[in-house]
Formats: sequence, structure tokens, C-alpha cells
Amino acid sequence: MTEVSDDFGRQPPRRRVPGPARPERSARPVGRSRPGPGARPARRPSAPRAAAPKTIRLGSPRPRLRLVGLALTLVLAAFVVRLLQVQAVDASTYAAKAEQNRYVGYTLAAERGGITDRSGVALATSEDAYDITADPTLFTRKQLKIDDGPEQAAALLAPILGQDQETILGKLRPKDKKLRYVLLAHRQTPQVWKQIKDLKSALATKSATDPGTANVLGGVLSVPTTKRVYPNGDLAAGILGWVNADGKGGGGVEQQLNSLLAGKDGKVRYAQSGGRQVPTVGSTETPAVPGSDVELTIDRDIQWAAQQAITDQVKESKADRGYVIVQDTRTGEVLAMANSPGFDPNDLSKARSVNMGNAALQDAYEPGSTAKVMSMAAVLEQGVATPLTHVIVPNRLHRGDRLFKDDIDHETWYLTLNGVLAKSSNIGTILATGQLGKSQAQANQVLYSYLRKFGLGRYSGLDFPGETPGILAKPADWSTSQQYTIPFGQGVSLNAMQAASVYSTIANGGVRVEPTLVRGTKGPDGRFTPAAKPKETRVVSARTAKTLARMLESVVDDQEGTGTKARIPGYRVAGKTGTANRVDPATGKYKGYTSSFAGFAPADQPRITVYCAIQNATSGSYFGGQICGPVYKKVMEFALKTLQVPPTGAKAAKLPVSYTP
Amino acid sequence: MSRKPELRGRAARLARLLPGTASPGQAARAPFVLLVVLLLGGGLIGLLVLNSALSEGSFKLTDLQKDTKSLTDEQQALQRDIDAYSAPDALVRRARELGMVPGGDPAFLDPDGTVKGVPSAAPDADPVTYHMPLVLAPEVIDSTAVPTPTASPTPTETVVPAPEDVVPTPETVPSDVPLPTTTTPGR
Repeated sequence: MTEVSDDFGRQPPRRRVPGPARPERSARPVGRSRPGPGARPARRPSAPRAAAPKTIRLGSPRPRLRLVGLALTLVLAAFVVRLLQVQAVDASTYAAKAEQNRYVGYTLAAERGGITDRSGVALATSEDAYDITADPTLFTRKQLKIDDGPEQAAALLAPILGQDQETILGKLRPKDKKLRYVLLAHRQTPQVWKQIKDLKSALATKSATDPGTANVLGGVLSVPTTKRVYPNGDLAAGILGWVNADGKGGGGVEQQLNSLLAGKDGKVRYAQSGGRQVPTVGSTETPAVPGSDVELTIDRDIQWAAQQAITDQVKESKADRGYVIVQDTRTGEVLAMANSPGFDPNDLSKARSVNMGNAALQDAYEPGSTAKVMSMAAVLEQGVATPLTHVIVPNRLHRGDRLFKDDIDHETWYLTLNGVLAKSSNIGTILATGQLGKSQAQANQVLYSYLRKFGLGRYSGLDFPGETPGILAKPADWSTSQQYTIPFGQGVSLNAMQAASVYSTIANGGVRVEPTLVRGTKGPDGRFTPAAKPKETRVVSARTAKTLARMLESVVDDQEGTGTKARIPGYRVAGKTGTANRVDPATGKYKGYTSSFAGFAPADQPRITVYCAIQNATSGSYFGGQICGPVYKKVMEFALKTLQVPPTGAKAAKLPVSYTP
Repeated sequence: MSRKPELRGRAARLARLLPGTASPGQAARAPFVLLVVLLLGGGLIGLLVLNSALSEGSFKLTDLQKDTKSLTDEQQALQRDIDAYSAPDALVRRARELGMVPGGDPAFLDPDGTVKGVPSAAPDADPVTYHMPLVLAPEVIDSTAVPTPTASPTPTETVVPAPEDVVPTPETVPSDVPLPTTTTPGR
């Protein structure tokens, strides 16, 4: 029985194990003596056994088998339990852990939209760039086997990066010996990096063949980045603003329309193995949405002419600053908005922070005589006077607590209302606006309502960051002197855009069109979306506006006018000079002058408004007609030529300035 | 003892499956083995082809991305040049070099010969700024294109053999390199 059971116990494994060397069943003794490759060691034949198969009793294999079976079962059970734990119980945790390593993701940077002028000329674009960096530890003697590694590298890099050798050397030999990252140059063009790369690889091949040389540029690295480029340099910099180090708009239109320009970053996520994408595993990709292009109403050429003219004049007059605004009278579009001094947004490290705003919108100042046109508009619209109404202008006028005078001492003038504007008489203006109401308080109320309608004391509608609404107090709060100074533009403040808008309103037949700076946007799909139509409000009647335009002509045209320097032969030019006492922003006291000139042309069929103001001219004349008149003329001529506006050929109005009593 | 014949029967069936043992089912086995071999081989070759196709695709992708990158760089560089040339400042300077002057008061000539506005003679060109043609568009473009190829060989030839010569050699480099920045106007 033992024999049989032994035999039986031995059989199953033998049958289960496949093998080519399986002996014939019939030749069992042979098979027994020759253990096959899959045979169990328990089957090892022993000499005594072979000798006496029937007599020797072997240890029972059954418990042994059971033990092995049990062990196997335990092991397998452990596996099964673990399997269940991994696959079923904690499946999500492990899957998440695996995914952390399996999937890599990175953001796809959205391309920032460009800014163009009204004809599509790029004013701001984004370009690929590289930050050139270095690892100073790779320049040490230990690495290069030479002592002057940094010197050699600096000598090679200096001409490419356009820096001093000493500057680069200082970065490559930092005081902190463990420093492993220095920024050699910020935002260089791909061409610069390519030069360095070529040099580097040439040096690498050289040092590979010639052990005497070292690759001194081995530690120079690059970080790809993008850079905002303003191809025209400081042109329209005040409007455009700049982009800060985070890639967000830091000022101007870049800041105002940042979300539109920035677009939306995309995302890529894919399974990786050994750094390469596993193609069979799906990857998720959210493509980046590039930012929209913004088209401004600015005309680059006119902007350039305006900027050139104001920069020259500010320099010549040694003034604090100056602004020029050119506006299309019919559409309210701003064709140019120039500031001086400005800044170059390509290189902010050299820019002075005080110059980095858009002063034409951010400075509030007292306009002076250019504001008289609003008083005249009120007087004409209310019907209390006509351009020919006689006004007797004494040398001094006592009103409230003050004695008012004109810019020059004069005998008593016998002027028409037109003459009051042409000669810019403060006294005449006070007298005329006094007629607006039965009492002075009433007159103030009427004047205030007109000033408001002309856009004073409120935002111009450009929605520009940092824009000032100016200061226009309520008539109830006007001080005793303010109620007589506001008619001629003191005691009230506005920004250059508001001032330009006043003249555009008159040029546009008394309808104020809110100024606009953005013409439209071009989305990533290439579709152009025009900007919302600007609001239009009627301020004065068309008749009043026409009359005012003719009166403004006298300022430039008449021999006695203050704005003769702004004459453009062949054209009818309307304009008004202004020379205001300026509040020094540092002290809050009157010091210096604000010189200005505002006007439009052609006077009978207005197309373009130009406004110029210069703050605190310290050298030469400070009269608006003297220093801003020529700027006005230059810019206006350029704009007329650019927009091809011919003269109308009509006869000048030639309203009388004075009368003989 | 009674199990022995059964055992034999099972063993016999097993033996029939094993190669070498003569049995009537032998003839049908060859196609199956072939099929398995084919499947395995096919699978292997398929994998190989798939892998190489993937690699090829990724090489192509890398190449194309590199091309795109360099073409983008080139396009942006050219655009920069165009912008530099068409910048108003640069135009004014070059116009003045050609002896041009800004026009005076605007005047218009109608098709019927009437003149609108008051025409006036242009002022004389400023003799200081008026040089003979300095319109060197092609040269400037050349100089921007040149540095990349020349910059790499020049320094490596001279720098590498003698490290002491490093300081003088960069003097040869700048003559090539900063050219684009100085001659390209309006930047």
C-alpha cells in the first residue's frame, strides 16, 4: 500500500509538469533514477530505496505536502488580500499616487495680444526672448582647470550682451561662493542666445579635441521667456503703458485692457514614461487662447508729430512737462495724446517713475483762459449777449474780495464780446458771465450747469487707469473769489483730455462726443469687434457752436488776437490761448504758469481739434499764444496733411474786436 | 489497484498531447503551432513597427518644432528690422540725409488745376545733416545677418589655442557684433 500511495503521491506532480524530457511511462524505473528538470526533490531516489523498495519505510509525504500546500495557500492568500487591498479597497489612493508620477503637466502660455494704431501699425507686440543666466560654480578652477575662466567668459560675452566686462565678471565671480544662479542679461533676442550657443558649442568641440583648452562658456545657460516690445520706443508710451515682470499690464492701455490682451493660459497633461509621452494613454490638452489685439484710435504719424513738437517746446522752455492732444472732432477719436517728458517702455530701468504715467489724463490743473470759451458758450446760449455786444473793460474790476485785472495793463477797452474772447480779457469775461442770472448765485448755477455739460468734474469716458476727473466744486461751495475766477478758468481744474473735448464739442456743432482711445479689438479668431459707440450729448445749440467758432477765429486771425502764432495760411483756424497761474503740486501754492492753446481747423468745417499745454515754462515766454501756438500750428499742419483736409476756401469771419464809443 | 487502468487512460490522453508520441491528432497540430508562432512573431514585428513609427513621429515633431522656432525667431528679427526702418524717427533721419525737408503749410492741388491753401517754397535743406546718400538698407540688413555665422568661428579659432590671447580677441568680436545695434536706426 505504501508503495502504491508513494507512487500515487508522486504521480500528480509528474503529470502536471510539462517537459520535453518526459520519460515514457512504461520506463518508470529509468525516470525514477533520472530526475527531470521539473521533478520534485522529494522524489530523489536513494540507494537503499532502490535496493529495497518494499522494505524501507519512508517518512510519510502527506504531511509534507500538506505543509507545502498550506504555505502556498498562505502566501497566495496574502497575495490575494494585498491584491484586493490595492485594487479594490485603496484603489483610488494608489491610482492617485501613480498618477502623480505618471502624468506630467505644464501650462501653455497664452500669447499676449498686440496693440496697433488705427491703421494697423504695431505699437506693442510680444516676442520670444531669453534670459541669459549662468552658474558661477561652473567657472571655478575645479571645473575648468584654469584660473581665469570667468575673465575669458566675460571677455567673450561682453560684446554679445553689450555689457562691460567688469559687470559680467562681477556676476561670474560672486562673493557667495556657493551661488549657483546669476542673471547675466534680461530678455535677450533669440539671435543673441544663438550667438552664445554657437560659441559655446564651438568651444566644446575644441576642448574635446584639445585638452589644453576649457569650455569657458559651459556654465552659461538660458531661460526662455517672452518680452514685450514697443517698436516705436517712447512713441505713445503714456497711452500704451508697460508690462511688469509678471507679464501683467502695469500702466496705460496694457493695464486697462490687461484681461483682454493677456488671453487665457492653456494646459497640457500627458502620461509619461522616462520623460517621453506614452502615446497610447490619452492626454488632455486645453489649448491656450491668445489675447486679443487692440486697435487704438491713435495715428502713429500724428502722434509722432505731436510728441516731437511738444518735446522740443518743453525742452526749449525748460518746462516741467507738456501735453498735446489731437482729437477727431466728429467721432471723438483721440488721434494723438503726447506727453513730454515721456519714457521708453522697452527699458523701464532708465525711466523715471514720475514720467511713467499718462500725464495728459492724470494731471489736473487750472486751464486758465482756454476755459473762457465755456463761459462764452453759456452767455451766447442763454441769449444774454451776441458776439457784437459792447463790453466796456476797465483797467481793474473790483469783485468780491479781490481786484481783478487783465494780463496786461491797459486803458479802458471798448470791446465787443468777440473782442473779449480775442484779447482774452478776464474782466470782460466776468462782466459777461455776470449777466447769466439775476443774482450772482443764479449766474453761478447756470455757468456750473454748462461746465458740467462740457464734461468738467467727471471722468472723460476713456476709463483710463489713473485718470483724474478734475476738480469742479458745486456752485454752493464756490468761494467769493471762485465765482469770479471760474469764468476765466481759475479755481477749477481739469485734465488735458477734458480741455480738448470742450473744443471738440464746439467744433462738432455743440454735440459732445465722449472721447475714445480704443477703436476695437481683434479676437483670436481674427474677427474685428468695433468698440462701443461713444455717448453723444448736446451741450449747446448748433447756432451757438457756429458763432463760437467764428469768435475763436478772431483770436488767431485778428491783429489784436492773442493767438496769431497759430495761423495757418489758407486755412480758417479757430483757437484760444491760455496762460494760467499754476498751482505747484509740491507746495499747493500758485507758482509759475500753465501755458496752453486749444483750437480746431478748419473753423467753418472742423475736422481736427488740437490742444497743447505746457506746465511751468521757465525759459523764454510763458504766454500760451507764444509757446503753445507754434506747437499747435506744427501739429495741426501735420494732422491736416496726414488726414488730407483741404482748406474750405471760404472767407474768414472777421468779426469786429472793438468799437469806438 | 483498481485505479491503475484509469491512470493509464489519463496518462495516455496526456501522452497524446505531447510531441513525439504518435497519435492520430498529430496532423492537425502544425497549423495551430504555426498560427501561434505567426501571432507571436506578428505581434513582435507589429510592436517594433509601432515603436519605430512613434519614434519617427517624435523625431519629426521635434524637427518641425525646431523649424517653427527658428522661423519664428527669424520672422520676429525681420519684423524688428522693418519696424526699425519704418519708425517715424528713422524715416525723418533718412529723409533728411537725402536732403528732404518737412513741408510747409499744407496746400492742395485739385484735378482741375485750382490750388487750395497757400503754397510756399520749401526751406533749404540743413547742410549739416545733408550728407550724400546714406541709405544703406542692404548693408544694414547684411550686418545684422552676418554676426551669427562669423561670430562663432572667429573667436574659437583665435581664443582657444592660447588662453592668454583671450583679451585681445574679443576686440575682433565687437567689430562684428554690435554693428546691428548701432546701425539699425530707431532703436
